[in-house]
Amino acid sequence: MKKLVLMLVLLLTFSLAVGAVAPQTGGELSVGLDADPPMLDPHMSTARVDRQVFMSLYDTLVELDSNLNIVPGLVKNWQVKNDGEEYVFELREDVLFHDGTKFNAEAVKFNFERMLDPEFASPRKSDLDLIKEIEVLDEYWIRIILSEPYVPFLATLADRAGMMVSPTAVEKYGADFANQPVGTGPFKFVEREIQDHITLKKNENYWQEGLPYLDKVVYRPFPDGNVRVINFASGDLDFIDELPPKDVEKIKNQADLNLNMASGLGYQGIWINKAKAPFANDKLTQALNLALNREAIVNVVFGETAYVANSPFPPGTVMHDENRESVKADPAKAKELLKSAGQASGYEFNLMVAPDPTAKQTAQLIQSMASQVGIKINIELLEFGTLVDRLMSKNYQAALLGWSGRVDADGNTFRFFHSEGSMNQSSYTNPEVDQILEQTRKVADTAERKALYKQMMTHLDQELPYIFVYHPKEIKAYKDHVHDFVAYPDGLIRLEKVWVTDSE
Amino acid sequence: MTKAEILRFWKKFRKNKLAVIGAAIILIEVVLALFAPFLVPFDPFQPDYVDYLKGPGNKHLLGTDSLGRDVFSRLIYGTRVSLSAGLISVIIALVIGVPIGLITGYYQGFLDEFIIMRITDAMMSLPSLVLALAMSALLGAGLKNAMIAIGIIFTPRYIRLVRGEVMKIKEVQFIEAASSLGMSDLRILFKHILPNILSPIMVQATLSIATGIIVEASLSYLGMGTQPPTPSWGTMLSSGQGYLEQAPWIALGAGTAIFISVLAFNIFGDGLRDVLDPKLK
Repeated sequence: MKKLVLMLVLLLTFSLAVGAVAPQTGGELSVGLDADPPMLDPHMSTARVDRQVFMSLYDTLVELDSNLNIVPGLVKNWQVKNDGEEYVFELREDVLFHDGTKFNAEAVKFNFERMLDPEFASPRKSDLDLIKEIEVLDEYWIRIILSEPYVPFLATLADRAGMMVSPTAVEKYGADFANQPVGTGPFKFVEREIQDHITLKKNENYWQEGLPYLDKVVYRPFPDGNVRVINFASGDLDFIDELPPKDVEKIKNQADLNLNMASGLGYQGIWINKAKAPFANDKLTQALNLALNREAIVNVVFGETAYVANSPFPPGTVMHDENRESVKADPAKAKELLKSAGQASGYEFNLMVAPDPTAKQTAQLIQSMASQVGIKINIELLEFGTLVDRLMSKNYQAALLGWSGRVDADGNTFRFFHSEGSMNQSSYTNPEVDQILEQTRKVADTAERKALYKQMMTHLDQELPYIFVYHPKEIKAYKDHVHDFVAYPDGLIRLEKVWVTDSE
Repeated sequence: MTKAEILRFWKKFRKNKLAVIGAAIILIEVVLALFAPFLVPFDPFQPDYVDYLKGPGNKHLLGTDSLGRDVFSRLIYGTRVSLSAGLISVIIALVIGVPIGLITGYYQGFLDEFIIMRITDAMMSLPSLVLALAMSALLGAGLKNAMIAIGIIFTPRYIRLVRGEVMKIKEVQFIEAASSLGMSDLRILFKHILPNILSPIMVQATLSIATGIIVEASLSYLGMGTQPPTPSWGTMLSSGQGYLEQAPWIALGAGTAIFISVLAFNIFGDGLRDVLDPKLK
C-alpha cells in the first residue's frame, strides 16, 4: 500500500512537472538527412528520403498514430461499405492549400485522377489501381468504389498516395510542380538548392489550431553517415535521421544529445535473382541461407539497433509471428545441400553492395560465413543509383538491399513475391503464393490474414526469392533544445508538434 | 654490373645512413609480403563475433577492426597489395614508357614533337589522382585496374625522362662511332644507349613506387581500388575513419604503414640518386 501511494505521488509530481512546460512558438530547426530528396512531388516520388520532407509539406487523407493505428487526417470520418468495395469519406472543411485555394472533394478527385493517369505514370498508380469510380457527393463528401475489396486501402492513403497536392498549383506549374511544391501541410516550401538545402517556413493557416510551433525548417543532405554525425555532434544540425549504429554509444554518452530508437517497418537482406544461375536451383540458395549466422551479424554490426529477421514482418507489426523460429546457422546441413545439388565444392556468385559503411560490413560478414561452406561471394561495390538500376533491369545475381517497409503487411510482400508484383525483381513465380497474396488483400480479419501469411512463408522458406537477414530500427538523434519529438515505427519525422528552446 | 662495381656502389651508398634505413625497411616489407601467410598471428579474413573493436593489447597486438579481424595481420597482408601495386604499376610504366622514350629521343621528328610530346604534356598537366580516378571509373573498380591506371599515369614521366637522356647521349662520340661502324639502330639503342641511361630510370622508378603506393591507397580509400575483403591500407584507412573515436587504432595502423613505406621508398630513392647520378658526383 505504501508503495502504491509513493508511486501515485511520484506519478503526480512527474505529470505536474511535465505539464508545467508549455511549448514555445518560434525558432528554427535544421535537420540532417541521409540523402538529397530527389523528387518533391509525392505522386512521382520513389525515394524514402523524399517522405521526410513530405511529412512537413503535405497532409495525408488518413494518418497514423504512433502505434500505427489509422486515425483521421484530412478525412474526418470514413465508412467502409459493401464488403470493403466502397469507401465514403467526409473531409475537413477548414483546410487550405498553401496557395490559398480550398481543399475539398474536387481536389481529392483531382489528386486521385492525377495518380491514376497512365500518361503521368505515377509510381502510386499500382497502389490505387483497384479504384473503379470516384464520385463527388458534396463539397466535402466523396465516394470511392473499388473493383474488388482491398484491405490495405486506408493504410495506402496514410502514405504518399494519400498526400494531397494543390490542383491549382499543378495546373500552373505542370511538370515543374516538384520544384515549387504546394500542399496543405504544417510548413510551406520556400526554396531549395540541390545537394545543399531545402527551406520550409511555417504555414500560418494550418488547420490544426496553434500548430506548428516552429517558424522555419531547413533540411540538409549528408549522405556520409560520419559527416552527418560530426555536423550534428559539433556542428549546427539540431536533428539527424539514420544515425549510424556504431555511433549510438557515443551519442548516449553525451549529455546534451538525445537518441530515439523505434522498431521499424522494414527489412534488410539479400535479393536473389532466381532467373540466373546459380539461384535457379533452390538447394543452392538454401545452402546460402543456412550458412548465415544472423545473430552474429546483428551483434557485430548493429548491436541493439536491429533485430534478427526471418520474415518480411518486423517485431511490433501486426503480422509478425512470435512463434516463428529464426533460421539458425547450420554449415553442416548447408554442405549436405550443396552435395545433394551436385555441387559439393560450392559455388560462386556476385553480390551487389552499396558503398555504405554498414552495408560493406554486413557484406563482408556474409562473405566470410558463406566461405565456411564453400560458397564464394564476390562483393561488387556499386554506387546506389547504379545498383538500383541493375536490380530493376534484373541484370544481377544477388544484391544486398532492403525495403524501408510499409504499415500494412501487403506493402512488404505483394509487390515482391506476387508473380505480377511491381517489384518482383527476383523473377519469382509460384501460383500458390500468388493466390495467397491475392487472398490477403480481401480478408479483413487479422487472425485469418496472419494464417495466410504464415502459409506464404512456408513457400518462401523453401524457394527463397529473398533472404531476410535483419530488421533495422529507426534511429534519430536530436539536441537537448528540441522538444516533443515522437518517434513512429515508419521512421518518418513529424515536426508539427516539435518545438525548440533557445540553444544558448 | 661487375662485382667491383657493386662493391663500389655499396661503399658509397652505406655512407648515407638514411638511405640504408630506407632500404632496410623495404627489405623487411618485401619479406613480410612474400611470407605473409606464415607470419600473421591470425587469419586476416576471419571475423571474430566476440572480440570486435578490441583495443591493442595482449591477444591482438594492434587490436581488432569493426568485424573482429586482427588489425596487425591485416596490415601485414596489406603490404602485399601496396608493394605489388607500387611495383607493378611502375613496371607497366617502364614497359610502355622506356621504348617510346628511346625511339622518340633517337629519331625525334614530327611524331615526337607534335604528337607524343603533346600527349604527355596533356597527361602531366592533370593531377595524377584525378586522372587515376577517371581511369579507374572507366576500367571499373578493382586492384588490377587500379594498377593499370596508375601505370598509365606514370608512363609520360618515363617517356620524357628517357627521351631527354637519349637526346643527351646520342651526341656522344662512342655512339657516333658505333653508328659509323654500321651498327643497327636497334642495337645501338638497346646495347649502348639504354645501359648508359639506366641510373636515372632506376632512381625515378624507386620514387614512383612511393607515389604508386599513395595513389593505390587513395583509390582504395575512395572505393575504386582493392575490393573487400582483401586487406589494403587504403581500405583499412577508409573503414577506420568511421571509428576514429571508438577505435582509432584501425586508421592509425593503416596510416602509419602508408607513411613508413612511402618515406622508406623516398629516402631510398634519394640515396640512390646521390650515388648514381653523375651530375651530383
